[in-house]
Amino acid sequence: MIELINVSKNYPNGIDALNNISLTIGKEEFIFLVGSSGAGKTTLLKLLYRAEKPSAGKVMVDRVNVVELNAGQVPYLRRNIGVVFQDFKLLPKRTVYENVAFALRVTGAPRSTIRRKAMQALELVGLLRRVNSFPDELSGGEKQRACIARAIVNNPPILLADEPTGNLDPTTSWDILQLLDKINRRNTTVVVATHNKSIVDEMKRRVVELEGGRLVRDQQLGTYHV
Amino acid sequence: MFSSLEFFIIEAFRSFRRSALMTTVAIVTITVSLTIFGAFLLLILNLGNVVGTISSRLDLVAYTGKNLSLEEAGAIQVRLAKLPGVERVEFTSKTEAWKKFREDFGGQLNLEETVHDNPLPHAFALSVRTPELLPVVAKEVADLGVIEEVRYSGRLIDQMRSLVSAVRVGGLSLIVLLSFATLLIVVNTIRLTVLARETDIYIMKLVGATDTFVKWPFIIEGVMIGLIGGGASCLILKLSYESVAARLALALPFLPIFTNQLVLTLIYAAVILGGTALGMLGGQISVSRALKNES
Repeated sequence: MIELINVSKNYPNGIDALNNISLTIGKEEFIFLVGSSGAGKTTLLKLLYRAEKPSAGKVMVDRVNVVELNAGQVPYLRRNIGVVFQDFKLLPKRTVYENVAFALRVTGAPRSTIRRKAMQALELVGLLRRVNSFPDELSGGEKQRACIARAIVNNPPILLADEPTGNLDPTTSWDILQLLDKINRRNTTVVVATHNKSIVDEMKRRVVELEGGRLVRDQQLGTYHV
Repeated sequence: MFSSLEFFIIEAFRSFRRSALMTTVAIVTITVSLTIFGAFLLLILNLGNVVGTISSRLDLVAYTGKNLSLEEAGAIQVRLAKLPGVERVEFTSKTEAWKKFREDFGGQLNLEETVHDNPLPHAFALSVRTPELLPVVAKEVADLGVIEEVRYSGRLIDQMRSLVSAVRVGGLSLIVLLSFATLLIVVNTIRLTVLARETDIYIMKLVGATDTFVKWPFIIEGVMIGLIGGGASCLILKLSYESVAARLALALPFLPIFTNQLVLTLIYAAVILGGTALGMLGGQISVSRALKNES
């Protein structure tokens, strides 16, 4: 599903965010990307949805090298990749429903499809009772659920989550991870970049560790530390 | 597509409302610029009209000495008609001229008591083929030696002509400058709404919106600003022109006022279209820059 081949990313300011990374992530896999701040986790995720281009190497998503996509093709790549953020990135002046429907609107989907799919996604994340609330009126966990609903509303085969529990308490974090696990079991490849040791240790999934831009560990049924 | 179009228009109205003050500034600026643009067009048209009418009525008038007989005047008429450049010669005898003068002014002046003799000379009105020939023909007439005075309004025409071309050049430069200034203001207005919606744009692009999709609401916003500005300016121009034209027709009835409805309608339409184009271009430029920064 996802394959990074000898990928490096150097910024003009001299920082080497990624250094010769090769990594294969299979279809419907669930993996944790761990490492300290600045290890390159976010950069790696950004390369997948083409928010960044690598300085060297190939980034294959569904057998397509996304590095070679032209600007006009990038939107179609992104419709196949859902992204969840630590700070949610919800639109404050729109309701939960509108935030989720927004992701379908931009694809030009007909209104009836938008309504059906948005409600399905909101049901999956357990937010049906909050559809008319504004982000300000939601708890952290609910905001993250809304963000996840928006990310999966297009039924993307890949879901990327960048520190999805960074702003949440342990119980809520666990709920969110359960939700991501549920989405994974619905045939979605899930990549979670996280600092959350307890969750990684508890879930016992594949763990890929980055350190200073290098891949230092790739372990099935792994834990946060060796 | 219907759903998208509805989305674009709703989004455009949303941002229109959100930055009401800047939008009003942009609309007023477009209105002012386009009104000046239209006013210059109307001024140029009318000046051209005046020059054209005066030129077409252009005659050269030659007066004989007072004591010339009708026979002698007839001979002069034949000589004048033969001059190169002269199209037609009309003769007004001193008797006819005096009669006409008395008809025109007799009521106001007590002519019978003050003037006993006819003081007027015979006169020839010469039509010249083109206005440029006027000075040449005037000189030829004077050179004949039998004419006492030659009059023509050539200098006035020359002055009018240079006035028209000055207004045309000045107006054109002003229009170019104003259009540029207006465009900048529209670009900046829409840029503010683009900045206010940076997160929206970021998320739109993140969830797979194409650039075209992101652009439409902003372009529609620009078109709305331009259309309202252009429409207001068109209304101002139409109402003021009609009122000024009506007053001028009363005050200066001899002044030929431009009234070709087809051309006037075209000018009003150009004002509205110009506004719309400016707004559209403004929207396009501001959102394109934002998109470039985003990707």
